[in-house]
Amino acid sequence: MLNRLRVMWSVYKQYWRINILTTLEYRENFLIWFAFTFIYHGSAITALWIVLNRFPEMNGWTFRDMAFLYGLWMLAHAVHNTFFSTVGDIPDHIRDGEFDRLLVRPLDTLFQAIATPGQVFPDELILALLYFGVVTWYSGATVDATFVVFVPLIVLGGAMIDLAFNLFISTVAFWFVRVDALRWIVIQLEQEFTRYPITIYSRGVRLLLTFVVPFAFMNYFPARYFLHKAHEGAMLPAAAGLFTPAIGVLFVAAAYLFWRFGLNRYSGVGH
Amino acid sequence: MAIIEAAGLRKVFRSLERDPGIGGAIAALFSRTYEEKVAVDDVNFTLEPGELVGYIGPNGAGKSTTIKMLTGILVPTAGVLRVAGIVPYTHRMANAANIGVVFGQRSQLYWDLPLRESFELLRSIYDVPRDRYLQNMKHFAEILDLDRFLGTPVRQLSLGERMRGDFAAAMLHDPRIVYLDEPTIGLDVVAKEAIREFIGTINRERGTTVILTTHDLADVERLTPRIILIDEGTVIFDGLLERLREEYGTHRILVVSLAETYAEIAVPGAELQSREGAVIRLRFNRRELTAEALIRRVTERYRITDVSIIEPDIESIVRRIYLEGYHDGTVGAPS
Repeated sequence: MLNRLRVMWSVYKQYWRINILTTLEYRENFLIWFAFTFIYHGSAITALWIVLNRFPEMNGWTFRDMAFLYGLWMLAHAVHNTFFSTVGDIPDHIRDGEFDRLLVRPLDTLFQAIATPGQVFPDELILALLYFGVVTWYSGATVDATFVVFVPLIVLGGAMIDLAFNLFISTVAFWFVRVDALRWIVIQLEQEFTRYPITIYSRGVRLLLTFVVPFAFMNYFPARYFLHKAHEGAMLPAAAGLFTPAIGVLFVAAAYLFWRFGLNRYSGVGH
Repeated sequence: MAIIEAAGLRKVFRSLERDPGIGGAIAALFSRTYEEKVAVDDVNFTLEPGELVGYIGPNGAGKSTTIKMLTGILVPTAGVLRVAGIVPYTHRMANAANIGVVFGQRSQLYWDLPLRESFELLRSIYDVPRDRYLQNMKHFAEILDLDRFLGTPVRQLSLGERMRGDFAAAMLHDPRIVYLDEPTIGLDVVAKEAIREFIGTINRERGTTVILTTHDLADVERLTPRIILIDEGTVIFDGLLERLREEYGTHRILVVSLAETYAEIAVPGAELQSREGAVIRLRFNRRELTAEALIRRVTERYRITDVSIIEPDIESIVRRIYLEGYHDGTVGAPS
């Protein structure tokens, strides 16, 4: 067991080495991505600022609050994109047959899919960390022991929520092969519904974002907690903001079980 | 002790049945009927350690499906399978440590990086000790002439060079068994020869068991005395190439250049296959008639300037077996 972990760690380091070497091999492409990351998040934040210039508050949330809300999501999302995004390439590998390669290597298939170099560079993560530092100060969130202990866990939990859906959709490819439509829907849902406090939406949407596709746990509930807006009482008590890691683990576990099921089907158990 | 045992191996796929064209595709959105396709029906064979065997069959015969079951990618629908004492599909990872796989049409090398980087990664994946790794690299560099392009990005390599890289990649962890799926596909003659040489060397010097699937029967003729022929999911021949040639390659052709023009040509014991100008081709069964006797019969009747004999080549024997069935003993004459 210990030996297996040692091998996995050494492989993981190698994958990252390859990742960074590959990214730098195509300098121009990398620079364009880098610029895009700035523009993408920059425009999202600018849009928020414009909206809140007209309406200084949205259900009691100021621009400063929403900047924090966005920062929390951005950080969790960046962790996912940096460390887990290659899970989204699984359907392509299934389609072109590359997936078989993972099965003839003496390592867990999902570990390999996660660790596969996908030309990822930690630029988004660095940007998200800087941004989060700024908005934490700007929003006036209380940085106490709870904050220091829980924020990393909440970010990781949020990244796991992203991973769970990424994995869930990729697993569907064992049946449908192409899953672009499904992925697009979930990505849109996440991007639209993580920008504003969920209290602006109808009850149905809030239920959806809390219990079905729990993106509200990536940023809304934790932000509500740290910004002392618990009196809103949307759906769950204040402490729900600290439950993100548990939700992340739960959803990843469920997605993993589904993955095992799909993998067995791929190999043809029960045929 | 056999290193590979397959008994009654069977694999059935369920696939969506649909009519051709856009209409059929749209109809299939609403009503789905599934079709059971038997890819591998009843495959039996055993391999001893250190054997090199050609696994031959036309497209869709079940070659790839068999290899996928042996490598642990697919679970058989029925049958018994053991590879180095392990059931591949229940112990996929343990099996994976024992095997090396080369898919001729797909590379496991990192396209954008120098060849060396892919090897370093594989060293980690298979947990190859550093000194063993260096030893192997040195050996492969010698027999595959890798040194020249170890530092070149894989995308800039020629197909032959890339394939040599893929071979080294598959052998780096000293697998006991290697599966080579169409390893020479698309290569030029020189590169093919280099790859064959390498396969032979690996098999001889390291005692690696090799299963080679290929379309190119020249690979097989050059490398292995034993072949397994598979068609429509079942093994139709398993044995020495020589036996196949003897059993099924019974007919030879005598090519004769005539000195004069004859209105009619008939030689007892031989069949006139073609006639082009002064050159005739006579097909005969070598069990019934020796070449010498046939030439005598020809010269008794006609004046000739030249003769030559065409032996049945393995390619045409196999082609005829697929076309006509394999049991009647008359197939396999060159045509």
